[in-house]
Amino acid sequence: MEPSGQPGMTRRRFVQLASGLIVATACGGTGTEPGEPGGDAAPAPSSSIVPPSGQLSGDLRILQWSHFVPRHDQWFDDFATAWGEEVGVNVSVDHIDLAELGTRLSAEIAAGEGHDLVELLSPPSAFEPSVLDLTDLNEEVRGRFGQQTELCTRSSFNPTTGKFYGFCHGWVPDPGDYRRSMWEQIGLPDGPSTYQELLEGGTRIREEQGVHMGIGMSNEIDSNMAARAMIWSFGGSVQDADENVVLNSPETVEAVDYMARLFQATMTPEVFAWNAASNNQGLIAGEFSYILNSISAYRTAQQANPDVADDVFFTPALRGPGGTGLASQHVIPIYVVPTHAQNPDAAQEFILNLVANYSAATYNTELYTFPAFRDTVPDLDDWLTRDPFGSVPEDKLALLTDAESWSTTVGHPGPANAAIGEVFNTFVLPQMMARAARGETSPQEAVVAADAEVRRIFARWRERGLVGGQG
Amino acid sequence: MAIVEVRALTKHFDGDVHAVEAVDLATTDGEFLVLLGPSGCGKTTLLRMIAGLEEPTAGDVLIGGNSMAGLPPRARRIAMVFQSYALYPHKTVLQNIVFPLKAAGMAPDERRRQAQWAADLLGIGHLLDRKPRHLSGGERQRAALARALVREPSVFLLDEPLSNLDAKLRATARDDLKLFQRRVGTTTVYVTHDQVEAMGMGDRIVVMDKGRVRQVGTPGDVYRHPADTFVATFLGSPPMNLVRRDDVVVGFRPESFLPKGVADAGAEALTVSFHVHRVEYLGSERHVIGTVEGLGEETRVIAMLPATVSVDVPVERSHEFVVAAGDLRFFDVGSGLRTERQRL
Amino acid sequence: MSTPPATAAGTAGTAEPGGRYLLDRKGFLARVMLLPAVVYIVALVAVPFFLAIAYSLSDVTVGDPSFDFVGLRNFATVVGDPTFRRALLNTVLITVVAMALVVVLAKVLALVLVQDFRGKWVVRLLVLLPWTTPTSLATIAWVWLLDSLFSPIDWVLRQLGLLEGNLYWLGNEGLAMTSVIAVQTWRIVPLAAVIIMAGLSAIPSDINDAAKVDGAGFWRTLFEITIPMTLPVIAVATLFGAIVVFTDMAVVFVLTRGGPVDATQVLSSWAFFRGIQGGDLAQGAAIALFLFPVLLVFAVLILRSAKRMEVM
Repeated sequence: MEPSGQPGMTRRRFVQLASGLIVATACGGTGTEPGEPGGDAAPAPSSSIVPPSGQLSGDLRILQWSHFVPRHDQWFDDFATAWGEEVGVNVSVDHIDLAELGTRLSAEIAAGEGHDLVELLSPPSAFEPSVLDLTDLNEEVRGRFGQQTELCTRSSFNPTTGKFYGFCHGWVPDPGDYRRSMWEQIGLPDGPSTYQELLEGGTRIREEQGVHMGIGMSNEIDSNMAARAMIWSFGGSVQDADENVVLNSPETVEAVDYMARLFQATMTPEVFAWNAASNNQGLIAGEFSYILNSISAYRTAQQANPDVADDVFFTPALRGPGGTGLASQHVIPIYVVPTHAQNPDAAQEFILNLVANYSAATYNTELYTFPAFRDTVPDLDDWLTRDPFGSVPEDKLALLTDAESWSTTVGHPGPANAAIGEVFNTFVLPQMMARAARGETSPQEAVVAADAEVRRIFARWRERGLVGGQG
Repeated sequence: MAIVEVRALTKHFDGDVHAVEAVDLATTDGEFLVLLGPSGCGKTTLLRMIAGLEEPTAGDVLIGGNSMAGLPPRARRIAMVFQSYALYPHKTVLQNIVFPLKAAGMAPDERRRQAQWAADLLGIGHLLDRKPRHLSGGERQRAALARALVREPSVFLLDEPLSNLDAKLRATARDDLKLFQRRVGTTTVYVTHDQVEAMGMGDRIVVMDKGRVRQVGTPGDVYRHPADTFVATFLGSPPMNLVRRDDVVVGFRPESFLPKGVADAGAEALTVSFHVHRVEYLGSERHVIGTVEGLGEETRVIAMLPATVSVDVPVERSHEFVVAAGDLRFFDVGSGLRTERQRL
Repeated sequence: MSTPPATAAGTAGTAEPGGRYLLDRKGFLARVMLLPAVVYIVALVAVPFFLAIAYSLSDVTVGDPSFDFVGLRNFATVVGDPTFRRALLNTVLITVVAMALVVVLAKVLALVLVQDFRGKWVVRLLVLLPWTTPTSLATIAWVWLLDSLFSPIDWVLRQLGLLEGNLYWLGNEGLAMTSVIAVQTWRIVPLAAVIIMAGLSAIPSDINDAAKVDGAGFWRTLFEITIPMTLPVIAVATLFGAIVVFTDMAVVFVLTRGGPVDATQVLSSWAFFRGIQGGDLAQGAAIALFLFPVLLVFAVLILRSAKRMEVM
């Protein structure tokens, strides 16, 4: 997760970015500051407007997060305003802290009024009864821009009701981040590729270099992601493709047992305590040899600590015993149009235009957000192999070109339904991991307890008709 | 029983305020010593230094011959009664009275007996289970006294204990208190600004002003032979008449200033012309207010004629008044101190 | 408002008699003055309270405010949930322990603050600061103080040679609970101290002098005089603090997010995770309603203490 829990950090980053921009401008845009386009990389893509299908008017009020890359919000707000002027809609964009998005939307739904378009960063499946079905929009966009990445569809479509409760326009990969200098010393300069290597290498690094590992088991989002990646890669999952609860499986137990052993060998109790910013800080400070995160921590380091950034490298999802390697998307931006929206037509038209300009969107997140419609960003692979934002070496992010193949949705292998959302937000999986790691219960008992809790949650959402499956 | 003595006792507050200035005093054993003075004269501060509640700036307090320097109040074997009585509002009368005994570590049975004795002595034995807020003013005062008495201190320190009582009650309380002190025979230092209390109760009176002792003496002494003009005017109601004559001040009490012929003033009596402005009839006495002429500076003075003197004193006329030679007092103009008698 | 503006228009003589003296009428003014309080209570207390009761008896979610009555099923689910039981226990434990500490520390602090010394006002102001700082901001400072790696507390202990490595304040069950209690205590002590200070200042100085003369030392004076006489004030300060702590979620939310596992979960944080984040608003409301009976008892006790103070 981005260091949003740490206001000091984002502000510092903001100041640095802003001053970087000023320097870049002063140098006629040819500066090679880290985090700035440099060398002969492709220039920043420009935006263009897709003409609306019908006459638009009135206000369009958009609510979304304050992107941790300030450059994105600048671009986005300008783009939204320009689009509005072009089509005759008065657009206003409100940015709030991402942690408040869900709370804010609940309040607006309860009040029956608010924004026309709200972006959430996790699958908004629980909001389905109060948002418009965006099936037509999804089909329209697919018709124009090609296939949607599957994990995006599974995060915005409810197969039980047959309804697109949201529109997913992008996703953020969640690779492993490691310190090359540390892994080099134990003969793995490319970092671990399997969980077995992670355990062995992490153990040696701790023993030989005194540096531990930072995979969270607390009540926060990164811990949630880590627990899921581990369970899937060991062959388990919370639900199956048909939304039946299957958490209690030998595979899950093995994953939990692995996590407990990994904790014993490589970690300290800090992983039970930390917040979303802890792993970023620890990696940058040289306290951790490996963490699981988006590239945000790395981008921060590029500004604050270039030497460290040059030592941070990435791995794809680690493979489990069966050879499967899967990671959850990190965050996933999904728009909903509440039923109380005053201007749903403009909202959908805007989404269409955003997708059409996704090259600019991705570029302006410094390659943080990937497109849901791959074809809209033809230069993505090029950027990833020659990072326009100053990576050393420049192909450091090349492994992300096939990130789609090892990434999935939180609902894997099923949809990211409302029950999965509550399981996620009540931290059932990281707590399951923590119980075993702390030795409170055996891995088996931890899984049984979590399975029971997950079943209770699923049952309640099935009663409300939002989740399928039986068991 | 013990003698309380203070030597060169001084208290300065915040550098500049000289509350008590080099006071030397000693009680006799079992004496009832009254500290009398206007408010702010330092009498309460002096008492609090004796009690140990106030640290002296300089000087020493001795009780029973022992220096109390640095000793907290509880080590001084004193008991104190405050103007407000300072009864503990959350404790019953009994609990209030036994509190000092508890602090002294006395056994519960013994405490109870002692408390009963003290309460009975003061006539509040039947009120032991009441809370202070359910007592009348007089009962509270007795409860406070009982609390002071109960552990048989060597010195009582009383800080205006009667000033919160109404006038009627105060007279009887004064009697009771004096009788009580005489019975227990404990050395007592009593602070008051009320000269009637001081005269009526004190074995000796210490008159204080501006932190200094002006005079120490029996009530008769300080009344009849005031040491200076302050004492002369502070005591007596109305106060002593003072008439300036050259470098001396002539003083005479209003009750010694009588119309010629009313009393036998003796051969050496001073006769003056008294121009009367006004007469106040106060029942038992008459106050005659006017100006003396020919004695010294023209000064407003008062004559007090008892009801037994029925002679008519018309206003706006001069009359001949006399003062017996023995009733004349003389003070130095500069220092205000008493000087040798002079021939007039 | 209803002040008659007619007089200003030069029609003073003809202003209707009813309007002109409206504000002089006792009953009218009383009602006008009471109105804001009534609006406040209805809008901010009664409505949310009854809404919470309604929610807890329904199946509403964050995405579906339509009301379907489900009886007491939410309560049954909530009570059967081990996390809830843990949160309830934690809430009570944190409140009780924090308040016990608050009573002692606030009392000590108040005793220090009523003394006369140079710079008393500066010290009093500094002492009051934790109370005036917004909880979430102050707690962020504590997050840093208790950081797993960079905790200055650990650093000091290491410098003193009392510790090797780190304590992992928030990663260890007992220490995390200790930390939450410590932060809650730290928040409430200043307010309680100031309230108790007011109580102490209200004790006549004669009473303290009398105790000294009567031979009572510091402890006897404290336990037999000072504490009994300030008891109603202490009770109010404590109950007030208890209400603040009992209902607080900011400290737990920012400090530990209920962790490790659910070791520091409290009712309000759990209601938030379950009801708002998790989407099950009905269950969240049911969890939050468990705060109510305890708060009611606190409120009654406060009112009774206040009454006792009047009598003293």
